[in-house]
Amino acid sequence: MKLIAELAGTEHGLIIKIEQQKVFAEIHGRNYEVEIRERNENHYLLLEGTRVFDCRVEQTREKFTVHLDRNEYSIRIIDPKRLSSAQSGSRHDHGAVEIIAPMPGKVVRVLVEAGAAVTTGSSILVVEAMKMQNELKTPKTGTVVSVNAEPGATVNAGDVLAVIE
Amino acid sequence: MFRKLLIANRGEIAVRVIRACRDLAISPIAVYSEADAAAVHVSLADEAVLLGPSPSSESYLSIPKIVAAALKAGAEAIHPGYGFLAENPDFARAVVEAGLTFIGPRPEAMEIMGSKTTARRAAMQAGVPIVPGTVEPLATFSQTKELAEQFGYPVMLKAAAGGGGKGMRLVHSYDELLSAFETAQSEAAAAFGDSSLYLEKAIDRPRHIEIQVFADTFGNTVHLGERECSIQRRHQKVIEECPSPINDPELRKRMGAAAVKLARAVNYTGAGTVEFLVAGATREFYFLEMNTRLQVEHPVTELVTGIDLVREQINVAAGAMLSFRQEEIGWHGHAIECRVYAEDAENNFVPSPGRISYLRVPSGPGVRDDSGVELGSDVSIYYDPMISKLAVWGRSRDKAIDRLRTALDEYAIDGIKTTLGFFREIVRDQEFIAGNLDTGFISRFKQRRDLATANTPESEGQIRARDLALIAAAIHYLRLQRETSQKTAASPGQTRWKMSGRRAVARGKAR
Repeated sequence: MKLIAELAGTEHGLIIKIEQQKVFAEIHGRNYEVEIRERNENHYLLLEGTRVFDCRVEQTREKFTVHLDRNEYSIRIIDPKRLSSAQSGSRHDHGAVEIIAPMPGKVVRVLVEAGAAVTTGSSILVVEAMKMQNELKTPKTGTVVSVNAEPGATVNAGDVLAVIE
Repeated sequence: MFRKLLIANRGEIAVRVIRACRDLAISPIAVYSEADAAAVHVSLADEAVLLGPSPSSESYLSIPKIVAAALKAGAEAIHPGYGFLAENPDFARAVVEAGLTFIGPRPEAMEIMGSKTTARRAAMQAGVPIVPGTVEPLATFSQTKELAEQFGYPVMLKAAAGGGGKGMRLVHSYDELLSAFETAQSEAAAAFGDSSLYLEKAIDRPRHIEIQVFADTFGNTVHLGERECSIQRRHQKVIEECPSPINDPELRKRMGAAAVKLARAVNYTGAGTVEFLVAGATREFYFLEMNTRLQVEHPVTELVTGIDLVREQINVAAGAMLSFRQEEIGWHGHAIECRVYAEDAENNFVPSPGRISYLRVPSGPGVRDDSGVELGSDVSIYYDPMISKLAVWGRSRDKAIDRLRTALDEYAIDGIKTTLGFFREIVRDQEFIAGNLDTGFISRFKQRRDLATANTPESEGQIRARDLALIAAAIHYLRLQRETSQKTAASPGQTRWKMSGRRAVARGKAR
């Protein structure tokens, strides 16, 4: 089975074969023979020789977060056999950026209107969550294409609150 | 002593007070909001009273509901914890008027210290040095602009009724002043119902060092030494320690004496904390504010002095004398606390609510975890994102750091983002280990770290760990694929190769 695993912007080719509780894998020419012991539905103890790797895998949208020792790896698995076009596209073109709500909360102030010119670092709106007001700033200089939230509106993490082009 | 005590709080601090109640054979009564119906603090109490809907304004901040709950349950005293109503003199008055004991200082002392402007005036009168700045609240923006120019940038804008870093902004230049002024005002109004601000000169590379004081109703006022709380983000503490890495008995004595003088000046009773800014270079200290309640970071003082501060609070409120004299207080070893927040440290510390899907709490010699959550707990959007406090004790600062590193590596919380990963890096940072702290520590730490990661090649062990993480993700992916295809029944067109792979995974699972 060939898979591609993307981690921090780098794609790693991964050949993997699972036989009973044994896993054979090859990554960049490095070969691994690993024994799997399941501790839980998403908690695996991997043994490579005598080395112990305690891995917990969380699924978040299209990614897997693997907790291993004191590190956290955010990994996207691409299955070339299942690759669909749905995974690409939907981003804004021409270098437009979306101002996205980083957490669920309430919009307390909108500081710009559509059509306004903004410079890198200027505040676009203020969202309150867990008693903290967070100013959301534009990472680029440009024009406000749209503002999709009004003061008082409740927003969810990931909502596009404004678009800057 | 009280027979029944109501805790007007939630989360880890409610759990902490419940423990002190149990030690004293007092029956603890919890209060809760709808979001907290199945919370840990409710499960540990003898009785629990629903206050109302989840927003804190309709539950934990409702004075009439809490007083009614206490009367209904037959409580004789109310412990406010920290946050919520802990520093609200109206609450303290309402408790006393209902014939109950408020565990904290008198409302008059809370009033003086509750407003930063009156607190600064009290400190000045008591002869305690204060940071240069305004004593009266700012009236207009144009006045603010003039004053900022007069003191010289950088300046700090602070909510007069403030605390916890809310309604507080560091302003480097005039460009930032208007936006900071408006945000601080509206944050202050939202958090404290009072939008008035004042202005202070910002001290260069300040350390935040505070003194724990304690007073009984017989006129005994003592201090329990300092806590260094310089590591902050958004002006909120994240790591605290006792003693301070820079402190010496002489400085502790001088700061302790100043704190006791201020506490005496306002006839303080119970536990309180006098916060100071200490200029890194000169060791000059300036009064910042007094918190008229138990502090979040009280465990480090408890670990080093051996004194149970919550138990002492309850004793003093019940009319007992302090159980120790100033000369009996000793400081033994070193303690450090990390506040574990449900926040994404890599994304500007934005809150990360959600359900805890896995939890492994560290233990071992000198390790203490004050937590308000369990496996399966929901960290809601309604309240402060702090979920636990990990504190360690060691014979020396170095040994405490060793234990903290081990405990942090052992600590695991999945399902939400937490500040644990961030702490794991800080305890390995040379500046932290050397004790070179100031309130700008985190931003400089991030720069150092980004530089270091860019210049360090991956080690063989790191590559292997990363490969194993990729393998774990692939194993899990294939397992989910198998489960999905089992659910939708075997569809035609699957290759024999895939099927055998899935059978293999299935067999692996059966063992």
